[in-house]
Amino acid sequence: MYSQELEALLNKKGITPGDTVRVVSKGKTFEGILLPRPEFGDQGALVLKLRNGYNIGLSIGRGAKVEKLARGKEEFAFPRVELSRRQGLPDITLISTGGTIESKVDYVTGGVHMVVEPEEMLAQVPEILDIANIKVINPMRKASEDMMYTDWQVMARAAAKALSDSHGVMITEGTDIMHYTSAALSFMLSGLSGPVVITGAQRSVDRGSSDAFVNLVCSAHLAAKANIAEVGICMHASSSDTFCNFTRGTKVRKMHTTRRDAFRPVNSKPIARVDVEGNIEYLEGSRRRTEEGASTRAAVGYEPKVALLKFYPNSDPEIIDYYIGKRYRGIIIEATGMGHVAVAPSDERYSWIGHMKRAVDAGMVVGITSQTLYGRVNPNVYRNLRLAAGTGAIYCEDMLPEVALVKLGWLLGNHKRAEAAKMLNKNIAGEITERTEVEWE
Amino acid sequence: MASETDYEKLGFMCGLEIHQRLATQHKLFCSCDAQLQNDISVAEIQRRQRAVAGELGRIDLSAAFETQRGRKFVYNVFRNTTCLVDADEEPPHELNGEALHTALQIVASFGAWAPAELEPMRKEVVDGSDPSAFQRTLLVGHGGNLETGGRSIGITSIFLEEESSGIEYSDGSTVIYNVDRLGIPLVEIDTEPEIRSPAEAKEVARRIGLALRLTGRVQRGIGSIRQDVNVSIRGGARVEIKGFQDLETMDKVIESEVQRQLALIDIKKELQSRNARVHPPIDVTSVLGDTKVKIVRKSLEDPDGAVMASRLKGYAGLLGKEINPGRRLGSEISGYARLAGVGGIIHSDEDLGAYGFAEEELEGLRRMLGVQEGDAFMMVAGEKRVCENALAFANIRAQQAALEIPNETRGVDPKLLVTTFLRPLPGGARMYPETDVRPIPLDAEEYERAKKAAVDVEKTMRKLGREIKNRQLEEQMLWSPQLGLFLEVVDKTGADGGTVASVLLEKTTQARRLGIDVDAITDGAMLHIFEEYSRKRITKAAIEEIIRQVPLDAKGVDKIIRSRKLERISGKNLEKLVREEGKGEGKAEIMRNIMSRHRLNVDGDELNKLVK
Repeated sequence: MYSQELEALLNKKGITPGDTVRVVSKGKTFEGILLPRPEFGDQGALVLKLRNGYNIGLSIGRGAKVEKLARGKEEFAFPRVELSRRQGLPDITLISTGGTIESKVDYVTGGVHMVVEPEEMLAQVPEILDIANIKVINPMRKASEDMMYTDWQVMARAAAKALSDSHGVMITEGTDIMHYTSAALSFMLSGLSGPVVITGAQRSVDRGSSDAFVNLVCSAHLAAKANIAEVGICMHASSSDTFCNFTRGTKVRKMHTTRRDAFRPVNSKPIARVDVEGNIEYLEGSRRRTEEGASTRAAVGYEPKVALLKFYPNSDPEIIDYYIGKRYRGIIIEATGMGHVAVAPSDERYSWIGHMKRAVDAGMVVGITSQTLYGRVNPNVYRNLRLAAGTGAIYCEDMLPEVALVKLGWLLGNHKRAEAAKMLNKNIAGEITERTEVEWE
Repeated sequence: MASETDYEKLGFMCGLEIHQRLATQHKLFCSCDAQLQNDISVAEIQRRQRAVAGELGRIDLSAAFETQRGRKFVYNVFRNTTCLVDADEEPPHELNGEALHTALQIVASFGAWAPAELEPMRKEVVDGSDPSAFQRTLLVGHGGNLETGGRSIGITSIFLEEESSGIEYSDGSTVIYNVDRLGIPLVEIDTEPEIRSPAEAKEVARRIGLALRLTGRVQRGIGSIRQDVNVSIRGGARVEIKGFQDLETMDKVIESEVQRQLALIDIKKELQSRNARVHPPIDVTSVLGDTKVKIVRKSLEDPDGAVMASRLKGYAGLLGKEINPGRRLGSEISGYARLAGVGGIIHSDEDLGAYGFAEEELEGLRRMLGVQEGDAFMMVAGEKRVCENALAFANIRAQQAALEIPNETRGVDPKLLVTTFLRPLPGGARMYPETDVRPIPLDAEEYERAKKAAVDVEKTMRKLGREIKNRQLEEQMLWSPQLGLFLEVVDKTGADGGTVASVLLEKTTQARRLGIDVDAITDGAMLHIFEEYSRKRITKAAIEEIIRQVPLDAKGVDKIIRSRKLERISGKNLEKLVREEGKGEGKAEIMRNIMSRHRLNVDGDELNKLVK
């Protein structure tokens, strides 16, 4: 929005963004298309797109003149694909939910469209139509940080339904919480008949350099023909546009704010590596597709009253009492090292032991994971670990903290408390591995 | 050389785009070093890019060519000069304030007007030279002018933008870029198309270069300034010429370009009168299966190898017609074919016998293509897919010859001083906002500060004339890196400009040739030398002696004067010296006697006045 004075002036002259205008400011004359005011910047500066394509901010002071030359043309429509079914190609379903991969700039006004239609996104990668017949469903359109467990429930139901008549499922999503989504779907879906491939982009699809093209093509190849029946994330394996990793949904984490290869396997290898030509190299054992009898089930119960707490030097354990008071049913603690929290600090008010015990006694499930992310927690090696374990807290092996959080929510949403507590450190969807190889890539 | 009026009759239009790298510490949108270091790359990244949705569905030939070529881009990354921003792995940081300040100084120097708010833009780049597929650029100045030879040439716009990557290698399928250069701040200055002759183009380029140099904040050396020239004549085309090695030959190259366009206009008329037409390419491999022609045989060794040819109805004799010395219409068409990765085309206006084609092969070719009297044909050999692209591009160019002179980006052949085809001229640059950077408000004070630092070429030239009084030294000083120091010395010490210029330009060069590291002398030391000279503590001859001792600061200068006994002998002391040692017949001999023993301490003029 422009400043009130400017809006009034534009209203009076019947000028709206998109119109061609002439502005005389400080003795200089400019002609161009009036743009909507960008979110940031001086609201009193009028922004024009000049004929040479450049935008320019003009101050409209006393003596400045604004005049309308021509009405704006109709809004620019992005190209879109027509989806038609072709004989001989496998069927896949694309569940599109929003995010960077579906964002774009409008070339005419310069405004940023946070979302485009899935068919417009696919128009940027027309070769994808030679890989599979794509059925598109679009149950939501949002930035991933706005997602809640209810969105995972929608996605899980849609994926289970889609797998009944599709070879595989692709989900496009914002990347920020993608690894929470992949964990949630890993637990919610069982008996999968094919792969559920989650992908996105670190660079929006309107850029010639977007990682979306390679991510979409590789994901489509996986969904169409991979002999895998698991939920995972398919994104760039390196900074190069050469191939993608498909990593198990419970063993993957966004490890970089901006790089293309932000999604890294943790305590595991990728299940497979896939290139844009569709070559798939299987790297790690995985659940295989079963041709007959598989029927994907979605158990979508979820208890949202679970929390993820980070322990750090001087962290006040009274926060646990807050959750007890709020009747939370579970807490995952992101402890240090092998699973430490303070047990005998110089100021004993900062000991976590009593508070953790109180939480367990109040009926909460308390799980311990490590903020090192890599490696396994252990309740025995040090005395302090044994004291923490003595509170009834459950040590969660080599499970990632976020995965443990989602798992606990899912367990409490589908099972009784005692059963949930028992299952927390038992493997369900590849989130816990019994052995860790000496080296892995 | 043709006169300005001749060019006016031709409808000659010409404007310049001068690109100058700025000498800032950091790059424009990140904290990488902005000075090239010639080090070895530490890693490489492979990328593919694609032309994204076209604005209003218009097909940009330049972008379409690049997409059809489908090349792989490899980026060499460097330790100190490449970061995640350059690799398109991190959003840009804030705009470099030092670069903006210099850009505004340049804007003010051309009397241009800076907008109230700068809007960072992305300009789409399709050749892979930027890993992000766009170049960040800001309009910083608008509507200035340049005075030269009594004429005023309009400055349309001034931009502050990112330098592109340097090209390391390229072929039909791969381009390797060095990402050390990417992102160095660059100022682009565009003139109005008001230049009236090739000679004037050269002079305007020189003047702009000089003004940039005078700011003292621009990079120097090969590649740090680039001049692009836009040229057209009536009935011709707009051609952007890039890659001038030096200004000296700019006028000659522009003259050649005008000649080329005139020749192409003649060819176009002739083709139209012959009702010429280009036929679609066909595969002629079967005719040449057993050929002895080396380049064709080599292509056919590849199992995917093929020869493809097109009939050019009515083109006979015109493909070989010279349009510039050593350049023919065939060379132009070859340039297009090469975009697809072939070495060039073979056409029927060439001596095909010399290639080794047998007469029956040529007969077979003509028959297969349906070539008749007055027709020409052209062919390419190589991998079939490459041949198809190459001949598709070549056909477009051949057909254009009968329709129009194509708008192109052209390079310079430094030997022949003619222009050569590089790529079709991109359509109106696709620009959209750089949404990762906020608009930058310009406060009035900032621009006022820049105005104070503005340079004035005319004024500087006049000052040099007054101070140095030697045309050759004035010209040399104008372009010298010592100009800033020179002005400081004459302003602060009042020393005579002729002497200062001679020391800074000539004496230092002589000493350097002797292997003396005079470049280690600090500006402070140099300033002090002239202070002492100006207050007559030392003679002009002593200056040369001092600089050969390489003083590192003012104290060092004093020490050299004392230890080498360089204090000037003048006034009463000189009179005493003349009395004691001034023996000999006549004035000349007396002076010779004294100067031979006290050359460094006695000023010749003073002695001259003293000896009667």
